[in-house]
Amino acid sequence: MHKLWLVIKREYVTRVRTKAFVIGTIAIPLFTVGIFAITIFAQSREADHTLKIAILDNVGGLSTPIAAGLTEKLKNGQPVFEVVKSVNRPASSDAAGLLNQVQTGGLDGYLMIPADAVDGKGAAEFHTKNPGEITFSDSINRAVSDAVIARRLENKGVQVGDIGGVVRSVEVKLMKVTAHGESEEKGQTFVIAVVMATLLYATLLMYGMTTMRSVMEEKTTRIIEVLVASVRPFYLLAGKILGVAAVAVTQYTIWTAAGGLLGAYGATMASAFRPGASMPAFHLPPAVLVYLVLFFLAGYLLFASLYAAVGAMVSNEQEAQQVGTPITIIIVAAFLLFNVILRDPSSRLAVILSLIPFISPILMILRIAMQMPPFWQIALSLGLSLLTTIGVTYLSAKIYRVGVLMYGKRPSLVELLRWMKYT
Amino acid sequence: MPPNGDALVLERVSKRFDTVTAVSNLSLRVRSGAIFGLLGPNGAGKTTTLRMILRIMIPDEGSIQMLGEPLGDRSQDLTGYLPEERGLYPRMQVRKVLVFLASLKGLPEADADRRAREWLERFELTAWSEKKVIDLSKGMQQKVQFIAAVIHQPKVIILDEPFTGLDPVNAVLVKDIMLELRDQGATIILSTHRMEQVEMMCDSICLINKGENVLDGDLRAIKASYGKNTLRVEYSGDGAFLNDSFFENINRFGAIVEAKLRPKADPQEILKAALAGGARITRFELLEPPLNDIFIEKVSGSHA
Repeated sequence: MHKLWLVIKREYVTRVRTKAFVIGTIAIPLFTVGIFAITIFAQSREADHTLKIAILDNVGGLSTPIAAGLTEKLKNGQPVFEVVKSVNRPASSDAAGLLNQVQTGGLDGYLMIPADAVDGKGAAEFHTKNPGEITFSDSINRAVSDAVIARRLENKGVQVGDIGGVVRSVEVKLMKVTAHGESEEKGQTFVIAVVMATLLYATLLMYGMTTMRSVMEEKTTRIIEVLVASVRPFYLLAGKILGVAAVAVTQYTIWTAAGGLLGAYGATMASAFRPGASMPAFHLPPAVLVYLVLFFLAGYLLFASLYAAVGAMVSNEQEAQQVGTPITIIIVAAFLLFNVILRDPSSRLAVILSLIPFISPILMILRIAMQMPPFWQIALSLGLSLLTTIGVTYLSAKIYRVGVLMYGKRPSLVELLRWMKYT
Repeated sequence: MPPNGDALVLERVSKRFDTVTAVSNLSLRVRSGAIFGLLGPNGAGKTTTLRMILRIMIPDEGSIQMLGEPLGDRSQDLTGYLPEERGLYPRMQVRKVLVFLASLKGLPEADADRRAREWLERFELTAWSEKKVIDLSKGMQQKVQFIAAVIHQPKVIILDEPFTGLDPVNAVLVKDIMLELRDQGATIILSTHRMEQVEMMCDSICLINKGENVLDGDLRAIKASYGKNTLRVEYSGDGAFLNDSFFENINRFGAIVEAKLRPKADPQEILKAALAGGARITRFELLEPPLNDIFIEKVSGSHA
């Protein structure tokens, strides 16, 4: 057992010290935070000067209420929009002139209200060089709508002072009901579920491959011959798998801590980029995180022993790709089944899929994050996965023991079966 | 362990892979504290035999005892191994590899580190001990691999072609260390194709061919049993006396000729014939046959 520990320790220490680990561990959360920050920043980009616009009003008399509706102020108290020109029932040459001014920068944009905006279905147009500014178009949209609706009401004999207050719609909030109560749902459950399952998918692939390469390295560098003269092959295999698992758990711990910080201080960070920006509060019950690690380990042990057997069978990277592909396909298949679970996490199909070993870890974590399944289903899924792992590891160990000492052509299926019978 | 007992006893050991019999009914004894040569042509089953002694493989039949005990985790810790195909972790630091491999043999890490430093010093590799293995030359890697085989003070040391890739200076160093370890009581099993090394170093040998023991015993005794049937001669002038009426085969090494006498050939007659033919003889010596010839005879004999 002491030797098993030595093998685990060497595997762990050499892997954790690699640049790849340090970069991966730091870069992935940084990347996530970076994307997050850029999104917030992009959303919050504000005009830093008053935008000069013109209004071409084909209806007549709408310019004034529209200009009055554009009430947004810049940080320095100046208005965001300044209507520098408005033309009632313009000629076509007016539009060409304004277009020219927008192109040369004399105007930031002009608004065109069609003649049938009030009676028919005509759509207003805002012409600008910079159409990406969602916040601006929201303001313009609201001002135009309010003005047009007010005119329609007037036409029916209704006089309204504060049209904005009257037509404001009522928001329907989605509340997620869980065993622990309710929380407002803005899509964060869905996002978190997909993020967690994707993380599981990516790390299973990544660490499975790591295990395979590590076995291959010992085989191709031929140090394996010295190792098996000192340690039982099963300990070598187990030590390698557990050593890589420890690396993965270390990485998960760092990420979970980073995720926890983001959860706790995310809103503060968001408001650092833009005062008043908010983030949907996502709170992860600790149970979900525990399950994430448990199902990662269940899936990892299963796939790692498969990948280790592949590493023992082959002598170079190309062969590893060929032999490893069927295993990779299983993991990708789980990824492709995401939709089935997301559509209805408690459907009979979803329940069955989340119990099938090999794909169960990824799909069960998706269900857990979407809607906590009954405990017996989680336990059964883990149990089936572990039983399969024991069986697979038993066979992998046999392949490993023979394979690591065999060089040359990779074995056929028949040869593999024979290897399993060797003593 | 009895002082003059057997370090290793193989009894009727067989190992088959599918249809190929790699080792067949092999029995041999290696005396404790000896240097033992395991010889045989390519594919004779040497590596399989070594792997079974190292417990990398389990024999299908027969038994192996090391130092009076059946093979087990303990015997593995008492064995050192230099494989023919050298291999170390290329991206690990030299001393760390040595400490890891030594601690896998049961050495506490502090001791392993101290001995690694001592051995690296002895092989003039101290300056390289923090470097990655991959940064070392082939010859230096060989030396590191040799250290890995002996660092844990094994009782039985298995060396598969230990001299390949070493320059003459380092080859002498390795040879001296082997003799030193033997004198300290270690048993060394040397597997090599270089017969002159075996003749210089080995106390006893076993020659295997096609998985079978075809010759074993004390090296001097084996050679003596062949008698002085080989003539080594140096001459100038007419070499007509070197003909197949006197000799079974003739090996010419430039200046020196070695020839195996026919059973009835009389060395006096040969010398007479040489002088009569006008050859100037500067050396005329009767020898036991070189191991090389015994090897070839035994191996090609069993091919027939």
